Amino acid sequence: MAVALSTLDHVAVGDCVRVGDVGGTDGVSIRLLEMGLTPGVAVRVVGRAPFGDPLELEVRGYRLSIRRAEAARVTIEPA
Amino acid sequence: MQQPSNGPRPERLTVALLGNPNTGKSTLFTALAGIPTRVGNYPGVTVEEKLGRFVCRGRTIDLIDLPGTYSLVAQGPDEQVAVDVLEGRQEGVPRPDVVVVVADATNLERNLFLVTQATGLGLPLVAALTLWDVGRRQGRSIDVPELARRLGCPVIPVATPRGEGLPALQEAILAAPVAGPTPAIPLRPLPDEADRPTAARDAIRRYAVVDRIVAGIVRRDSAAPRLPEDRIDRLLTHRFWGTLFFAAVMLALFSSIFWLAAPLMALLAGLVESLSAAVTRLLPPGPLRELVVDGLLAGVGGVVVFVPQIALLFLFIATLEGCGYLARAAYLMDRLLVGVGLSGKSFIPLLSSFACAIPGIMATRTIENRRDRLLTILVAPLMSCSARLPVYLLLCRAFVPDVAVGLPLLRLPAVVLAGMYALGVAVAAAVAALLSRTVFRGPPQPFVMELPGWRWPQPATVLERAREAVASFLANAGSLILAVSVVVWALSNYPRIEPRIAADVAARRQALAARIAVPDGPVAERSELAAELAALDTPAGLAAARRSAIQRQSLLGRIGRFVEPLVRPLGWDWKIGCAVIASFPAREVVVGTLSVLYDLPPNDAEGTALERRLKAARWEGTDRPVFTLPVAISILVFFALCAQCASTLVVIGRETGAWVWPVVTFSYMTALAWLGAFMAYRLGTWMGW
Repeated sequence: MAVALSTLDHVAVGDCVRVGDVGGTDGVSIRLLEMGLTPGVAVRVVGRAPFGDPLELEVRGYRLSIRRAEAARVTIEPA
Repeated sequence: MQQPSNGPRPERLTVALLGNPNTGKSTLFTALAGIPTRVGNYPGVTVEEKLGRFVCRGRTIDLIDLPGTYSLVAQGPDEQVAVDVLEGRQEGVPRPDVVVVVADATNLERNLFLVTQATGLGLPLVAALTLWDVGRRQGRSIDVPELARRLGCPVIPVATPRGEGLPALQEAILAAPVAGPTPAIPLRPLPDEADRPTAARDAIRRYAVVDRIVAGIVRRDSAAPRLPEDRIDRLLTHRFWGTLFFAAVMLALFSSIFWLAAPLMALLAGLVESLSAAVTRLLPPGPLRELVVDGLLAGVGGVVVFVPQIALLFLFIATLEGCGYLARAAYLMDRLLVGVGLSGKSFIPLLSSFACAIPGIMATRTIENRRDRLLTILVAPLMSCSARLPVYLLLCRAFVPDVAVGLPLLRLPAVVLAGMYALGVAVAAAVAALLSRTVFRGPPQPFVMELPGWRWPQPATVLERAREAVASFLANAGSLILAVSVVVWALSNYPRIEPRIAADVAARRQALAARIAVPDGPVAERSELAAELAALDTPAGLAAARRSAIQRQSLLGRIGRFVEPLVRPLGWDWKIGCAVIASFPAREVVVGTLSVLYDLPPNDAEGTALERRLKAARWEGTDRPVFTLPVAISILVFFALCAQCASTLVVIGRETGAWVWPVVTFSYMTALAWLGAFMAYRLGTWMGW
């Protein structure tokens, strides 16, 4: 389906998805993986800050905030 | 005082506390060791080093609080220090005998990532499951014996508010060296792994291990009452209500350091004043008394005056941090600050700087990212602090005509005053944007921030944060600020060459007599001049005149005349230049210095006499007034942008751990202030204000 290469920054608030992969090889992508955004994990987009950025996510039972630029590195699969 | 240790010693143990940020690690430190025995920086880096000590069963335990870290694959100086200490490579710190790895029981998966990493250290581990009570209330249960078996180390649930689990934790620490190093939990290759850097590959493998460890041992009782956490979170990060609540919290924070601190500051100032009065009574008049009262005690007053603001701000921040709101505040404000190269975490430090840059700069300790923290420190002094207000008010009242601008209620002085605040913000934004795109450019900085669960703040931790901030300010910055005030006092009072002082007073007498002799001067002014001349014959009047003469003839006065060519383009005479230099210890001093340099009568230091005196000031040997509207605006702009605050510079040096940063701050701000003042003066003159 068309969702195959969608990224986390395009997910609507309240939706639950599964992480496909985290792109890039720099410190940012390593930090995202270390915070638990590993391939296959379930993520819920809890909200967006008042000015549209950053995002609030629920992953592995806790709340994580990342900017949209970082969320754009995370490809998703439908939950 | 510490030697590297080789293996466990019977009577003493070195124990390191390792853990993710927001896991209650500091709370556990306070619960175990109380007030730290040493707080400072690790040599060469600005990472905080915190050591404590406690005795258990006759054995002394040295506790090292490591910086909070998410991973032992170091990505920044904080994490590097944690790794270096654990591997025994940190200079001056012995390799720990035991590592207590703190894990948040309400967030086990992500916390076990670090715990499993720590098993590879080759040291005995004890895992402390903090926030056990919170987890219990949420209806969570963890099979602790099974978790300990799977991790290969003791696991102790603790609930710090009531000290639950602390004795068991102490026992486990004492027993750990006997059991020997905890074996490393191996990572296994996964099917269809993509080609990635080792750290990324290991992170994915490690979470696979963590998933296996938690499988079947964490239970959530579905019958337990759902906590209102989600609803609180949704409300407080809501586009409208969340922003409104945020504004209310920030208003409360700002008013507490701006107004609530004022009576406490007045109280401390009063104490110093009565101490000065006592010394004045005890010591005979002379240089010693002047040194003690005007130099030393005035300097002490200048140090303690910051204590209420620092204490209140840190009480506030620690409370917000304790309930989990601090991270939400950064989350809400991030977008606004990204444009200028900062992040949401800079908001509270910058807001606090409107009251005073010193607590503001100290509050940047909550910014983990080095680059963001330094950038915030560099621009924080541009926020118009409360010490600039007296200068703004004096000059606005005296020289800005009170006329309406457009609307009848919108008066020009108010517009100029607001303009000064806006100028500081605009310049700070420009400087931050410029620096982040040039000197501070680097790889993209991740804004990956945990939003911790909502909790009640722990009073002991909150108080400890405030105590620590005040103690570190007094111990690290206090003595230097005191030294600077004494030096500037000495410069503006010495050398005292009697003939020159006498000549200065005589010249003043002559000038007054000459102005009275002008036949058609205004009657009111003539009688005022006559009263002033007569006052020179009273002891108090003569003393005041001598004080002014001493300051004009002092080294500072001479420096002022020497630098006059530098301040001439700003429309200033040498006395203004002199007052600006004398205000280096603190901006508000400029008002007092101006009143002395312009021979203010001793009985009216703050009222309208200073305004009239400044209005009457003439360029030496001419009838041209010194203070015109362009000159006043030029001084205002200079004070809005300059770094005339030794305390701020000292605190910048202490907080960054490198004296190059206060030099950079002073240089760039003074250059901008000069440029701004020059442009304001030229523009004003050209527009014919």
